[in-house]
Amino acid sequence: MSSIERQSTQFLFDEAFLRKLERLSVMSRRTMSGQLQGERRSTKRGQSVEFADFRPYSPGDDFRRIDWNAYARLEKFFLKLFVEEEDLTVHILVDASRSMDWGQPNKLEYTLRAAGALGYIALAGLDRVTVTVLGRGEGGKGRRGERESGGIDYFAPHRGKQSANALFTFLENLRNLEFINEKSSNLQSPISNQLRSYAARAQSPGPLILISDLFEPPTTNLPITNLPITNLPIYQSLNTLASKGFEVTLLHTLSPDEVDPDLTGDLKLLDCETHAEIEITADYDLLQRYRTGLSEWQAEFRHFCGARGMHYVPVETSVPLDELLFAWMRRYSVIK
Amino acid sequence: MSFLTPLAFTLAIAFPIIIAMYLLKLRRTEQVVSSTYLWQRMVRDVEANAPWQRLRRNLLLLLQLLFLIAVIFALARPFIWVEGSSGAATILIVDISASMAATDVTPNRLEAAKDQARLIISNLPEETRTTLIAAGEGARVLVSSSTDRRQILQALESLRVQPVSSDLTSALELASAIAARQPDSEIVVLSDGRVTLPERLAIQGRIRYLPIGESGYNQALTLLTLESSPQREMLTAFVQIANYADEVVQRRLTLSADGRLLDAHDLEIPARGQISVISEIIPSETEVLEAALTEGDDLILDDRAWAVQRVSGNRSITLVSSGNRFLETALGLLPGVETTVVGLEDWKDGSLETNQPTQLTIFDSFTLTSTLPTGNILFIGPLASTDIFSVTGGIEAPIPRPAKDDDSLLAHVDLSQVSILDSARIPLPDWARPVIVDEATGFPLLFAGEIPGQRIAVFAFDPRRSDLPLQPAYPILIANLTNWLLPAQIGDIPAQIDPGDVLTFTPPPEVESLTIIRPDGTSTQLDIREGRAIFGDTGQVGVFLVDWKVGRLGFAVNLSNPQESDIQPVESLPLFENMATSDNGQLQQARHEFWRPLAAIALVIITLEWLVYQRATLTKVWHSFFQANKKLTSKT
Repeated sequence: MSSIERQSTQFLFDEAFLRKLERLSVMSRRTMSGQLQGERRSTKRGQSVEFADFRPYSPGDDFRRIDWNAYARLEKFFLKLFVEEEDLTVHILVDASRSMDWGQPNKLEYTLRAAGALGYIALAGLDRVTVTVLGRGEGGKGRRGERESGGIDYFAPHRGKQSANALFTFLENLRNLEFINEKSSNLQSPISNQLRSYAARAQSPGPLILISDLFEPPTTNLPITNLPITNLPIYQSLNTLASKGFEVTLLHTLSPDEVDPDLTGDLKLLDCETHAEIEITADYDLLQRYRTGLSEWQAEFRHFCGARGMHYVPVETSVPLDELLFAWMRRYSVIK
Repeated sequence: MSFLTPLAFTLAIAFPIIIAMYLLKLRRTEQVVSSTYLWQRMVRDVEANAPWQRLRRNLLLLLQLLFLIAVIFALARPFIWVEGSSGAATILIVDISASMAATDVTPNRLEAAKDQARLIISNLPEETRTTLIAAGEGARVLVSSSTDRRQILQALESLRVQPVSSDLTSALELASAIAARQPDSEIVVLSDGRVTLPERLAIQGRIRYLPIGESGYNQALTLLTLESSPQREMLTAFVQIANYADEVVQRRLTLSADGRLLDAHDLEIPARGQISVISEIIPSETEVLEAALTEGDDLILDDRAWAVQRVSGNRSITLVSSGNRFLETALGLLPGVETTVVGLEDWKDGSLETNQPTQLTIFDSFTLTSTLPTGNILFIGPLASTDIFSVTGGIEAPIPRPAKDDDSLLAHVDLSQVSILDSARIPLPDWARPVIVDEATGFPLLFAGEIPGQRIAVFAFDPRRSDLPLQPAYPILIANLTNWLLPAQIGDIPAQIDPGDVLTFTPPPEVESLTIIRPDGTSTQLDIREGRAIFGDTGQVGVFLVDWKVGRLGFAVNLSNPQESDIQPVESLPLFENMATSDNGQLQQARHEFWRPLAAIALVIITLEWLVYQRATLTKVWHSFFQANKKLTSKT
């Protein structure tokens, strides 16, 4: 048993669970070029055992690859090309905004555990894993140095199971991290902006798993419903990510009390993140409408993602993590 | 519609307060949530799309305003004027006499009276105390000064017709006494007016008479007798039928002996007249003869009558006398009586040896020295004291006068012409009641009474020393005395009585308890106290049977009461004609309040409001219950 696994038991997972995770791998529907030798089919031609194509010989080519059988038939030199197998970069984006630190079971904790498990699956599959925290701080400018070295909100691409310890430590630190400044939270840019800048920055697109409650403070005063769905910032950002070549999986986490709020009477609701206020009379009708609104909202996402080849996995934090990984994510073909 | 407390409308200032509370939304609890994102989405959705939904959101406000309206109206105590009684107290007198069973109004007069009473009660103000008196055989207070409507209505419902004449006088006296205690009382009489009322009756309180009934179409059997004559083997029935209608009617009379139809007569009875029928073909073994008028009139209670044949064995009398022609003649006239005359010496010697037990011993001017013989005893002009009375002297020329007006021993006996020479002075013993007294001294001239197991009657004077034996009163008096002293086999049960009469009789000494079987088949056990049995429940017409194991005897209860049979309703009672406060048959104006339904509506609204307010919780509870139920059923 490696020391990595032993240490990791303290926070996230036990050994048996990790061993079960090793059997899984993150799925990628497209082939992409990677950086290092790995276990994934790459767009490049290389040295695996899998035949890919023929190519006429040109001077300078390695004549060890000349297909002599073809030469015997055609009296021309052809090179046999094989599929290259490289690694993939799995991008895990964790929303750690204040609204995520909510609910019973806690959404942030659930998110971090899911991120840890998915990260471990990727690491065990010899893929590169990078974790980026959204919803904390300014989300970027002027902190590049910190980002590259792996600061509090960015886990630089790591490869191999030996990096699992680092990943878990990173996630654990995130969990214990206090929200820095109450006031600055108003200034933080919404997730959609952070996603767009991530898309602009990212170098090696690959599977991208965004874990978030998708509660985004409105950036416009216009009624939300008056806008076409695709004009909403969050959808635009997802579009941008997809156009950059990311295979987006949206893991939409909600706590049970958000799905079925236990509210009665005349209430003034305070948003813990934006401090926005709204007055409601929580009667039967309103709660019924809330549930309808919630399912419509989720349906919008499902429709949007379905049309763009993204995975949309809505999940309540009451669902056990292993059920999420071994049943739900597999059913949605995010991992196998 | 007017209001008793219009001041309650000042509560309307609560309307703006409730609305202002809604506008200000004072009572909002702050609640932190993870995000208001979805709520904003939804609330804007509501506000943007449907203005009418805003109203729906304020369903609670609407309900609260409705509740307030209902409460204010209830507190203002609205009322309308209706016809009915108003006053602090109402006394209802309902006639339950036989004539109230007449069916000229459907279903019958008593039910119509009940309907009227219900209407009056329902229109009474809340706080009116109501007394219900049933006027039948005597007056009965069923409910006294009660505000409990249910109790009154129940008592009203329990009223049944009694085949008796109604005692409205005592009912009115009772009502008057109650009214005297309660100011502002009103007495309401519900009757057909077939009542006897004294000419003057001081009544407290206002009085109202509501006549019940429409027509007087009725015929009645007023008399039925069954006579036996020694000469004939057959019995003779005498029937009298009266027509109380104002037209000539055709009726059929049937006579049945012991349930077997014997005779039928088609009769034409003149308007308000009566006819008699004599039937002489009644078999002598007949026990019960029933006469019935077929084809109905408005009152069926008096369409049937019964007569019971008494087969009485010979009654034996021992007359201890030195010879009394008058008495022997008078006794000889009595049917079924066997008289044995014993000389004074024979008795004195004690040589009287008769195997037959004597039921009545008459001592005529005889001084009894030995103990009293068994059986009943009649003393005539005793010369000396005995164990049960004392002779203390004599009275010269006493003036006889009945001690009581309606003594049955003096029925049809006229004493006004009787002169008496002298009489023994006998103070009234404590076991006896005076029958004839001396007007001057008050000493009894004839007294009767009972000592345990024996009936005793005593003539203080010797009729031979008066002109009584020369008058028609003498044989009647002797017959009355003999009938009283020589009752039929079981005591003195009359063959026929009127409904409601109390029956008192002396059963044979060896009988300890009796069963009385009523015409409807029900029976009652009668206890015998000090040799007497008393039965008062004669409220049915028909043949009653007195059963004492070794024998039985019947008596008939017939409604032969012209006052009740003449069912023509009386529009106005003579009593009220002189009373200034009366208003015959006119219903007064009364306030009818209806705050109760308003209060009920308010209660319903506030319950609805609570349900609407709590429906989220209620739905949750219902769902969890439903789930648990489902689990349970799937488990099983």
